[in-house]
Amino acid sequence: MLSRVAESLYWMARYIERAEDVTRLLAVNFNALLDAQPADARQGWESIVRINGDDDPLFAETYPEANSQSVIQYLFWEPLNPNSVVTCITRARENARGVREQISSEMWEAVNRLYFLTRNAERADALNNATQFFDLIRDRAQAIQGITSATMTHTEPYQFIQLGLYLERADKTARILDTKYMYLNRFLSSPSESSLQLITLLRSCSAFEPYRRSSAGQLDVESVVEYLLINHEFPRAVLFCLNRCQHTLEEIGEDTTVPTKSDAPRRMLGRLNADLEYLDIHEILGENMEPFLRRFLTRLNSIGDEIARTYFNTSIILPDERPRQQQQQQQ
Amino acid sequence: MVKLKLVMFDSVLSTLYDPAPFYDEMFSAVGEPRPHYTVLRDHLQTITAEMLAERRRVADAAFLYQGITFTVYGQEQGIERIFPFDLMPRIIPHNEWDRIERGLAQRVTALNLFLHDIYHDQRILREKLIPSELVFSSRHFRREMMGLDVPKNRYVHVVGTDIVRGDDGEYYVLEDNLRSPSGVSYMLENRQVMKRIFADLFGRYDVEPIEHYPQELLNTLRSVAPHEYSDPTVVLLTPGIYNSAYFEHTFLARQMGIEIVEGRDLVAHQNKIYMRTTRGLKLVDVIYRRIDDDFLDPLAFKQDSELGVAGLLNAYRAGNVTIANSIGTGVADDKAIYAFTPEMIRFYLSEEPILNNVPTYLGWREKECDHILNNLDKLVVKAVNESGGYGMLVGPHASQSEREKFREHVQANPRNYIAQPTLALSCHPTILEGQLHGCHIDLRPYILYGDKVTIVPGGLTRVALRKGSLVVNSSQGGGSKDTWVLRD
Repeated sequence: MLSRVAESLYWMARYIERAEDVTRLLAVNFNALLDAQPADARQGWESIVRINGDDDPLFAETYPEANSQSVIQYLFWEPLNPNSVVTCITRARENARGVREQISSEMWEAVNRLYFLTRNAERADALNNATQFFDLIRDRAQAIQGITSATMTHTEPYQFIQLGLYLERADKTARILDTKYMYLNRFLSSPSESSLQLITLLRSCSAFEPYRRSSAGQLDVESVVEYLLINHEFPRAVLFCLNRCQHTLEEIGEDTTVPTKSDAPRRMLGRLNADLEYLDIHEILGENMEPFLRRFLTRLNSIGDEIARTYFNTSIILPDERPRQQQQQQQ
Repeated sequence: MVKLKLVMFDSVLSTLYDPAPFYDEMFSAVGEPRPHYTVLRDHLQTITAEMLAERRRVADAAFLYQGITFTVYGQEQGIERIFPFDLMPRIIPHNEWDRIERGLAQRVTALNLFLHDIYHDQRILREKLIPSELVFSSRHFRREMMGLDVPKNRYVHVVGTDIVRGDDGEYYVLEDNLRSPSGVSYMLENRQVMKRIFADLFGRYDVEPIEHYPQELLNTLRSVAPHEYSDPTVVLLTPGIYNSAYFEHTFLARQMGIEIVEGRDLVAHQNKIYMRTTRGLKLVDVIYRRIDDDFLDPLAFKQDSELGVAGLLNAYRAGNVTIANSIGTGVADDKAIYAFTPEMIRFYLSEEPILNNVPTYLGWREKECDHILNNLDKLVVKAVNESGGYGMLVGPHASQSEREKFREHVQANPRNYIAQPTLALSCHPTILEGQLHGCHIDLRPYILYGDKVTIVPGGLTRVALRKGSLVVNSSQGGGSKDTWVLRD
């Protein structure tokens, strides 16, 4: 298939997933931080702003302090923020428009409706009913994924959508873990506080109930981290997502008589998977967590670059210290 | 009879519909349908208002559901509109079509030879049959094409020729469209819709099919591939989603089973054209392009064009790719050159034209220019390179100030204008606001020219949907009908 089309489908999926995950993060933490102590709340919100990369100069310039209002405004609505939910949804829609012939009309309608939902929403109302509004956005984003799966033939175009979706999800879960792990450390002395934070962390990844069902009673840092990183069955766990990515690359590779010109994405992904699969969780707890997650995100970004180089022939971006969220390259 | 009250068109058909003073396709006189329309008239007399409304509803839903739209220029959001469709079919008897078909084939052959001649030996210019200045001053004459040999010597592969019928009952060619004629998707969808809502009528008429157009188009494109490959790669090059005809581009690409690409999907390498795919570069043999010459290659034409492919012209020169239609074909559909088509037919084919041109006055000729300026109130004046009904003055319908403004245009650049007498275009019963009215129509058959000429019977009948209007273009309030060519 055309590189441009594959790229648009891939990024459409990535942006929708990003929008969904950030919305969930905001919704859960808005709820959780409502009854936190002011100092904790501020720290909490500050750590959330960093979800997309290190200290964003734009946020610091625009808002005096990090609180529910400013962070929601910045992460959800801010048009100048390339990773705000609204920006992501707009970009997803632009991509979908360019490949309207390759997606089903139901998909296009769903993407379009999500877009108009954010465009037409009264911001004041949305903030007053933040939880409901966020739930609505999240539902619509998930609906798109379901519609995609049900109405597209599962051939190469669909595989690129899945690739984008799962790569983004792996990235997001890792980032959420990174963000919240540091914040967790404030509460190590108090078991009840600690539990609350772990629950919030799990909820931020929609993992609380599945976790409960699987780990009968244990709510400690080690188990939670393990669950989010290397669980095989939970669909937002990093390893689960990477396995799915691997599967799509294999499907894409098989879909032809001519072999792909570079096997690099598959090999890099395979290695990352293996490292995660055989990870000793004790080696990364405590102060090792942050460098570990940073390395992980860097490697994930490199895989994204390699995918672009192999399938889309676009220019490459170099990863940062703490890697920034990848953006679609304009051609 | 009780039934009379419910029937939609009975009274109209028998007493109220007066075709005069125009040639009416359906009626020769009040209440007297032409022989090939009798069955339709009889059928219409059984249709009630409800039935009609139902058919209208089905038709509208079909078009909407299929997304058969076009985008109106100048709208911010790119408003998509359904191209208005009239339920009354336009019927052409076989013998009439036969003549049209032969006339078109003759015309296209001559035009193609003209293009080859203009870009090579220019014999017709040396014989002074056509003034050289007229050719070289045409905006679409491309120096770059001089001496360039194109695959199979075919310049025009897809032609849309507009034909009208005058009040003498004769067909005339109004103009040829040799660059990127559109509308064929409407022709195809109109037929699909008619089959749904008038299935019974199809049983009573023997109508020539048209659904094979996309296959014929594909065959045509493949037959002009640059080398003798068994399976040439054909692509459709589109300007993209913001183009008003984008729907048609995707429609045709899908029907032909070929890839639809934009300029940025193609790359020139070692004078060959490749598509950028997830498997790497794939060689492209034939490009069916719906992009104007100006935007095709930023290295050769407009430098700031982002729609084309840098290096395409070089690949074309090297003979490694076919461009359909070729570059520089616009010189032959320049309205001033159009006036010389009969000369072309005589010169290249030694034949008399089967289909005649509409009498045309050239602004370029001083005496004719004077005639134009003195008769602005009676003539239709056209800028030679516009389309879509723009750059046109319909003298009898224009206001004094509009005519004066046009006078200034013509005087400033006489070579750029031609004029034709206001044709009394034929009319056809059309449903306007629930009533049958005679509306002016034309006909645009689509001619394919690959290894041979192929013309799918009929074409798009366009209808002016405003009472008394002569403008049939979609962008200015026109609509279309299904065209039925009858088998013998």
